[in-house]
Amino acid sequence: MSTAPLPAAADGVGVSVRGLRHRYRTSGDELVVLHGIDLDVMVGGYVALTGPSGAGKSTLLSLLGGLEPLQEGSVDVGGRDLASLRGDELAVYRRETVGFVFQHYGLVPVLSALENVELSLALSGADRRARRSRAGSLLDAVGLGDRMEHRPAALSGGERQRVAIARAMANDPRLLLADEPTGNLDEDAAAQVLDLLESIRADRGCTLVVVTHNRSVAARAERRLRLDAGRWVA
Amino acid sequence: MRWADALRLALESATRRFGRTALTVLAVTLASALLVGLSTIVATANSRVFNQVSKGGPITAIRVAAARANPGQLETDDFRLGPPLRIDDQTLSGIAALPGVEAVAPVLDLDVLAVPPPEAGLREPIFDRMVGVDLRDAGQLPVTVLAGRLPAAGLSNETAVTLSYLDKLGLTADDPSVVLGTRVSFAHPQVIQTSSGPDYRGRWVWATIVGVVAQDAAPGMFLVSIEQTEADRAWALGGTGDANFEPLPESPYSAAIVVARSLGEVRGVRKSINDLGYATSAPEQLIANVQRYLKVVDIVLGAIGLIALIIAALGITNAMLAQVRERRREIGVLKAIGARDRDVLRVFLLEAGFVGALGGGAGTVFGVAIAAAVGAVVNGYLTQQGLQGITLSVPLAIVLAGVFGATALALVAGVLPARRAARLPAREAVGGA
Repeated sequence: MSTAPLPAAADGVGVSVRGLRHRYRTSGDELVVLHGIDLDVMVGGYVALTGPSGAGKSTLLSLLGGLEPLQEGSVDVGGRDLASLRGDELAVYRRETVGFVFQHYGLVPVLSALENVELSLALSGADRRARRSRAGSLLDAVGLGDRMEHRPAALSGGERQRVAIARAMANDPRLLLADEPTGNLDEDAAAQVLDLLESIRADRGCTLVVVTHNRSVAARAERRLRLDAGRWVA
Repeated sequence: MRWADALRLALESATRRFGRTALTVLAVTLASALLVGLSTIVATANSRVFNQVSKGGPITAIRVAAARANPGQLETDDFRLGPPLRIDDQTLSGIAALPGVEAVAPVLDLDVLAVPPPEAGLREPIFDRMVGVDLRDAGQLPVTVLAGRLPAAGLSNETAVTLSYLDKLGLTADDPSVVLGTRVSFAHPQVIQTSSGPDYRGRWVWATIVGVVAQDAAPGMFLVSIEQTEADRAWALGGTGDANFEPLPESPYSAAIVVARSLGEVRGVRKSINDLGYATSAPEQLIANVQRYLKVVDIVLGAIGLIALIIAALGITNAMLAQVRERRREIGVLKAIGARDRDVLRVFLLEAGFVGALGGGAGTVFGVAIAAAVGAVVNGYLTQQGLQGITLSVPLAIVLAGVFGATALALVAGVLPARRAARLPAREAVGGA
């Protein structure tokens, strides 16, 4: 895989979580998924969150990424209290501060690789020429310069995930959140994706939080934290 | 997100689910086609019915007879004729000055003896009336050309005939053009009193039949330029007349056609003319009744089309709700990468609008085509019956309603699914705990 350097660099952000408690209501019952947890991630840190299914990993990632409002406790990302953000403010936070990488890639099937990356830039109002140029550079950087016009269905799993990473990087995020980024990939493709995420972190200094079931993936992180039933375990 | 980007995403999304989108568009197309087709047919029928009532002339035409009005004239559409009352140019000027009057056209009809060409095989001459009208302003007259054309204004050697002439010749109305180009000789009577009683003389002229018409200017099967009947009147006045069989045509004009500015002014104009003493005739009651019936038909057919459109709109809502259910994760991802609620709302509304506009546009074209096809069938039938065909009437309002109405309805139908999509939490992108 040949890659070009990623354009522009952004500093990471520190993350501070205090007393985070979260629950879901399902058919009248209340299910507590996070029991007042604390977490600190330093600027530019690399943390792997592990644990069994239902442990609360994805919920924690959602809360860090502003995908849903906080119920109890506080989350501070780069000095910004997420509890104070609502509606459009959360959308702006997600767009400007966070980059998401999902296990299912989350690509829009009808758009080409280039258009998928452009979509992220379109949401921030970039004009067509500028975003096309930047999306092209990002795809070059993840080694997909020759697959830009391909739709997701014509790409392998690893290639799709690299498109997703390019899209996540479109707005220079300071916090990169990856939810099982290698969950659907074979060993080689998984290694390539992790190499890419780590090189981005190294080049750009962004903070990286990865949720994974895979011990070998977790082993590559600087710090490994294990959640079980909404609590940290040793 | 910019509108252009939202539109592009909406179009991509609509075309991605081609089968579902095509079916939804088809439903809107059929509903719009039904609405536009029925409305066009109703509009054409309206125009046809009023055309028939007015014999092709203005629907606001009032006929004025050279006779006094009997009591109760205004209570009926028909003439209630009293004793003769002269109509001359001064009378016409007076009527033209009445409020609500748009135009006044004189009519002079006289007795005539007509002899068709020998090849027509008619042994007896025809005794009928010759109707002279001002052909310079034929648009204001209740005259419809069925074949050929109207006689040229001012010429005395051209005439148009009604279908009654074809009947006299034993011809059917299937092809009225067979009489075009044939000649007919006219004799206009002059009566002179002699010692042995009244003596009849004829002034003979011939004319070429240039058209077949339906006309309601005055009773008579020969329509000519008024200059011709004026010459004939002068000839008749050269004699003494016969009070019993051929009285002198004392009045310069035997009738007048008065055109009111609008249907609403017909009543007032008619009353004003009545106040001048003249008997009048206008299809007021008939038009009012026809309008009432057509309105009912309009409402019923419009409602059928509207119900079809509403059903199509419900189809759009249903299809889009299904899409929202299927695309929860995609919508979540859109939000995760920074889309606001209103961005998502915009994409879904544009998608609904696209389906509506496409279906509405196609439906309008299809609807007009259906109406044209129906019109062609009806025209075929009317021609077979020897009647004048119809001209398709497609009001701009119907076309606009077909396209923009369907789009607006689709947008309304898209509100619920779009709001539901916009309110989906960004967390849908992740799933699991």
